[in-house]
Amino acid sequence: MRRNWRSLTGSRILDLLTVFVVFAFLFPYLFMVSSAFKTRLETFAYPPIFLGFTPTLEHFENIFSDMNILFYMKNSAIIASCSTLLTILIAIPATYAFARYRFRNKEGIAYGFLFLQMVPGISIVFALFFIARSLGLMDTHLFLIVVYLLWNVPYAIWMMRGFVEGIPVELEESAMVDGASRFKAFRLITLPLMAGGVAATAILIFIGVWNEFSLAFFLTSTNARTMPTTIAFFMTHSGIKWGPMFATATVGTLPVVVFALLVRRYFISALTFGAVKG
Amino acid sequence: MNRQTPNQRPAWLTPALLILPAFVVVFAIAAYSAFSLVQLSAVKLTFGEPFRLAEPVGLDNYIWLLTNEHSTFWATVRVTITYLFGTLIPELLLGFMIALLLNRKMRGNSLFTAALVIPIVLMPSMVGLIGRLYFSYDGLVNYFFDALTGIRHNWYGKDLALLAVILVDVWEWTPFFILILLAGLQTLPVEPFEAARVDGASRWQSFRLLTLPMMLPLILTTFILRFMDVLRLFDVIFVMFAGGPGTTTTTLPLYVYRTTLVQRDVGRGSAASVMLIIIIVALTVLLIKLRERIKFEA
Repeated sequence: MRRNWRSLTGSRILDLLTVFVVFAFLFPYLFMVSSAFKTRLETFAYPPIFLGFTPTLEHFENIFSDMNILFYMKNSAIIASCSTLLTILIAIPATYAFARYRFRNKEGIAYGFLFLQMVPGISIVFALFFIARSLGLMDTHLFLIVVYLLWNVPYAIWMMRGFVEGIPVELEESAMVDGASRFKAFRLITLPLMAGGVAATAILIFIGVWNEFSLAFFLTSTNARTMPTTIAFFMTHSGIKWGPMFATATVGTLPVVVFALLVRRYFISALTFGAVKG
Repeated sequence: MNRQTPNQRPAWLTPALLILPAFVVVFAIAAYSAFSLVQLSAVKLTFGEPFRLAEPVGLDNYIWLLTNEHSTFWATVRVTITYLFGTLIPELLLGFMIALLLNRKMRGNSLFTAALVIPIVLMPSMVGLIGRLYFSYDGLVNYFFDALTGIRHNWYGKDLALLAVILVDVWEWTPFFILILLAGLQTLPVEPFEAARVDGASRWQSFRLLTLPMMLPLILTTFILRFMDVLRLFDVIFVMFAGGPGTTTTTLPLYVYRTTLVQRDVGRGSAASVMLIIIIVALTVLLIKLRERIKFEA
């Protein structure tokens, strides 16, 4: 009896600890969102104000009317969706080849893609700066859309390969026995079955491009400037404009958080290049 | 004898054609950037000047970085190593402990894992900026320190700036370890644990002799993935402290930026970039090899 009671309180304590730990990880985000609704004085109050303030929408009005944040969101949306679409179109055939065919040096080539994916953006951004200038593509959507393919295509191949390999090859073979061509078997059987995985990959690539900073910051200035690089606007000589910055961060991270929660099921594969299934 | 009917394509042709577009796009971008990066690393050029003013200097930039007494390259390497282990070890340990904590039957588990996704997907540039506010003297972090210990720290100073960027990374990326290791724990087979219980093994014994060895390959995988990411991290540190004060938060990616854009030395900056790429690829290959060996032994 006594032992039972003790293990019950023990697990209660662990439950409470779990709730506390998860809340601690969420807290900086919640505080950021709540700060978007505070006045400047409330943001700097010490001790910090957690709940006792009257929400104001002035910062949101400010970023949409004065800072024209929608323009930068539009740039981000254009660059992220075009680069994602191109990535998926280029990566699907390659993925299929890696998953379904046997050929020499297959794993070597697959790792070749992975190693290129590892190149840090910051290490080639200034070389890209010179390239963009010589091609006259500085500060254009097109240049970023194409450059991001270097990281996105290998990522998509590694990520989607697992999804295709998870679909039994027998399904395609039986369709081919029934007279379908290999392409038709792929289009009618495999493609619909991998659609969920493709959608998840696309969403995760979209999030990556939407958040990307190093390349966008140095390769754009006004015309193609993206959301994450607008932080420069908040760092003025008279200090950082915290209210508008919190409002922008809230608006800019909202779609990403919603998207990420939508594809939660695939999140583990996404983080591990498809090496681990969730 | 290689007899083929004329209309039969060789077996390698179809996969080759399927991979070709991806190969061309990725390798073309990589080769073009690599070519101009290596070219830039062998010249003397001030940022902002046109390329025709570049003076070829051979390997001088590399030699200067590695051997000159005024070069801060090695100091940067030290900061990078501190940053790597300062983030990865706490993240791994905390992540594993929290994954074990979450790996119990309790209500709201899927809600918890959903919440843990959020720090990972936030915009890094915004994370850097909030980090800056939270670590200010009147910020959130000092408030909690004050409440617990009665002391407020100057996180912007030389002594603590690196710790501040490390703590931001620990907040952002410990959930990465939690989520992956939790997924791993949930797919462990049940039978060995039941057998161990029947044989009278204690909880600690079954953890040490069953859970840990079975989880080791996955722990290494997560470690390698994060290792690559931490080594190339730029945005959060750049926005938070831009590598300062002094060089206290200048990791290798920050060093590339500061050399190229702050000191406006394109040649040395590019040489540092080349070395950064070599370091990342070499270390990752090494870690992957190590993981394969451990996998075979396990």
